[in-house]
Amino acid sequence: MKNKADVVIIGGGISGVSIAYNLAKMGVKDIVLIERDYLTSGATGRCGAGVRQQWGTKANCMLAKKSVEFFENAQEILEYDGDIEFKQEGYLIVGTTEEEAEQFRKNVALQQSLDIPARMLTKEEAKAIVPHLNTDVVHTATYCPTDGHLNPFTMTDAYYKAAKRHGVEVYTYTEVQDIIVKNDTVEAVVTNKGTIETPVVVNAAGGWAKEIGTMAGVDIPVFSRNHQILVTEPIEKIQGPMVISFSHNIYCQQTPHGAFIMGRGDKDATIGHDTHSTWQFLDRMAKTVTTLLPPVGDLRVIRQWGGLYNMSPDSQPIIGGTDAVKGFYMACGFSGHGFMLAPMTGLLLSELITGKTPSMPMDDLTLSRFDGKTIETKETSVV
Amino acid sequence: MRITEHPILSFKGKKPVVFFYNGQQLVGKEGDTIASALHAAGVKMLSESIHLKRPRGFYCAIGNCASCNMVVNGEPNVRTCITPLEANMDVRMQEGKGRV
Repeated sequence: MKNKADVVIIGGGISGVSIAYNLAKMGVKDIVLIERDYLTSGATGRCGAGVRQQWGTKANCMLAKKSVEFFENAQEILEYDGDIEFKQEGYLIVGTTEEEAEQFRKNVALQQSLDIPARMLTKEEAKAIVPHLNTDVVHTATYCPTDGHLNPFTMTDAYYKAAKRHGVEVYTYTEVQDIIVKNDTVEAVVTNKGTIETPVVVNAAGGWAKEIGTMAGVDIPVFSRNHQILVTEPIEKIQGPMVISFSHNIYCQQTPHGAFIMGRGDKDATIGHDTHSTWQFLDRMAKTVTTLLPPVGDLRVIRQWGGLYNMSPDSQPIIGGTDAVKGFYMACGFSGHGFMLAPMTGLLLSELITGKTPSMPMDDLTLSRFDGKTIETKETSVV
Repeated sequence: MRITEHPILSFKGKKPVVFFYNGQQLVGKEGDTIASALHAAGVKMLSESIHLKRPRGFYCAIGNCASCNMVVNGEPNVRTCITPLEANMDVRMQEGKGRV
């Protein structure tokens, strides 16, 4: 193991490998990425893998739009020999009340102002796109055809291999135990396999971002909570878009392989690092999906699992450094959407670390936005 | 191929059960699973592999693998090795992963 580096990235999920790749591409040498288990072992490998631009805040919309533009060309840009399986057949968001429709109209107006091709749909138009949708439990919908979903494992692999070609060193099964800070400046990262001196540490630890912050003496206002997902046996394609509903509490996609992947939030889940799966989830998920997408109820469930959302106070990510500790950077608090935003996470953080002007305004993404202020802009479009 | 004599078990008195395989009438016996009836009738290929379309036959016989998945009475992905045969069942070879 190296004992010196220019940048140490903590976390081998999609954010970590994207940051590593972007930094290396900008010419940073001696980049080390540390992962406690294996790549994708955290939230990335457990996520629902959706990519949507239909958000309720400007920052999330902009992050998502530019990330989609990257995903569209990721295969070529990263010269990946596998398939990232980007199925760009849209996101259909269905609502149940007039109140929700009002929120949809506001969101779509914001999205359209940012050149995101989202639009309002009647429930009949929604059914034309997803024929097995039960419109009896749908009031109205929005749709964006350039949303979609892709494979978190191959996408991470694509970034990883590109980063490796640019000289990034990756240490898996290596646990960060401490971050040494002197004179408010990062000095080194202590792991169970040795200490690495470095002026820059990036916290991309997902569900453990708060704990990594504590090691550096930075209090990050995030917490983690278990979210569960299940996958069914595969069948021939019947569904193009991801179908999602905040009021029904579900997102559901059919992978290119043919399996359905679906998840829902659980406000009663305890805060912490528990990632168990429960029969209560299976019961509620089955009832929800058979109500909204009845034919999917005929499929057998293959397995279910849990993973961590790392929640921020406004459900928007924290991307950037902090005045409190020089050299300490964060990419956390994605609130369940770190996978789809990873291309921009990597780009923006690399721009900040190398002293370049960021590609978009960062005001809504800084850690300091929470300093003693009441939160005005909050993302509500979250399952 | 059926066992007719056995030191302990008796197979006498099992009634015939008529069913359909790809529209063709076949006869199994009371107590058969769909797959055992097909096997006894000489039907050894139950499905085809998804990508290369190679023949797949009786394999695990306990409902774990997907080798015997067929369309039964219109329902895809039925594990015929553990599904009891019923009179007049419509059993068909499945194309690909099945359609709901």
